[in-house]
Amino acid sequence: MSERYSRQALFPPIGKVGQEKIRSKHVLIVGAGALGSGNAELMARSGAAKLTIIDRDYVEESNLQRQQLFAESDALDKMPKAAAAEKRLKQINSEVEIRSIIGDATPEKLEELAEGVDLILDSTDNFETRMTINDISQKFNIPWIYGACVGSFGMSMTIIPGKTPCMNCLLKKIPIQGMTCDTGGIIAPAVQMVVAHQAAEALKILAEDWEAVRTAMVSFDLWRNQYTSMKVSKAKDEGCLSCGTERTYPYLQPENMMKSTVLCGRDTVQIRPPKEQEIEFAEIARQLKALGYQVKGNPYLLSIEMEEQRLVLFKDGRALIHGTKDLAQAKSIYQRIMG
Amino acid sequence: MNKIMFFAHLRDRVGEESLTKDVSGKTISELKQMLEENYGLKLDSVMAAVNEEFASDDEVIQAGDTIAFIPPVSGG
Repeated sequence: MSERYSRQALFPPIGKVGQEKIRSKHVLIVGAGALGSGNAELMARSGAAKLTIIDRDYVEESNLQRQQLFAESDALDKMPKAAAAEKRLKQINSEVEIRSIIGDATPEKLEELAEGVDLILDSTDNFETRMTINDISQKFNIPWIYGACVGSFGMSMTIIPGKTPCMNCLLKKIPIQGMTCDTGGIIAPAVQMVVAHQAAEALKILAEDWEAVRTAMVSFDLWRNQYTSMKVSKAKDEGCLSCGTERTYPYLQPENMMKSTVLCGRDTVQIRPPKEQEIEFAEIARQLKALGYQVKGNPYLLSIEMEEQRLVLFKDGRALIHGTKDLAQAKSIYQRIMG
Repeated sequence: MNKIMFFAHLRDRVGEESLTKDVSGKTISELKQMLEENYGLKLDSVMAAVNEEFASDDEVIQAGDTIAFIPPVSGG
């Protein structure tokens, strides 16, 4: 084995055998924001064989305070986070196969991406996607690691199908999103602390040290100096629709999925067409410019300035409408541009 | 007596990290309702732990138990 991973292999619980296992594993990282950046960097440095990273957003200046894979140039160029992450990760470790997907982590997309995956690292910013990850995890028997943070607070839990309770056992339904959106900001150390918990659990799972996996949900507040750990084994529910005896995987059913979503704390609505499309940017840009709109873009997206809002259109027909939280208004803006 | 602890934004709403109160004999659900009325909290999708172990809404609190309310957060 090369020197590259020697210090990690010297750590007795991993050892050479564990390191070889890590070198053979495929990790799916859902989200390439703050948690996704941190998790992806640590997985790449640790020498996972393959990383698949999916993200629907692009880099903005306000991300740079905590999203460690991105530089000022990425924000200036409005680079999609998945593409910017892939570029940086390849610089960090060229031995790791990196596959990036610019798009929404829908149930269909995640089912497709889950094939051959050994572990899913949650780096999303919403519970709708987490519940989908949770169902995928149960359906395909893939462990996943929940992680989330807001302000100086963070939490993480490891879910192993057949062993631990699942997210649906604990929460029973999608929690009210507003609980985190209005609580004011995020500090980078809280991100790093969640990443540390997720990545440590990931290494245990990739090295197949199952005994070492934590069976409690951890949460902490770095500013208020609170730390707690909650044992979750009692939460296991045999009637759970995601992991129980009569499971239906409710969060993989299309009728349960929204087509428009208010993005957490961002004054932004995402609109997703019912079917993926292949948008021809040049033609749309020409038409919009002719109508007097200010249009900017790169190969991945078109940014269209309006009076109060900004619409950012992706190749697959998906759009982010900045400057509104109103779903109906966002849909109307989308339809005004896209017909 | 019981110690009731609050995390994340719940702590800010209550104004303290913990309350000391005798709530033994109540279920988690009843305690949630009481706190919602007295402190204007929304505890509907908040997880509860009794003595650092997950507790369902119908679990009955015993004397001396420490109860923690932990909101699942979604940022990332």
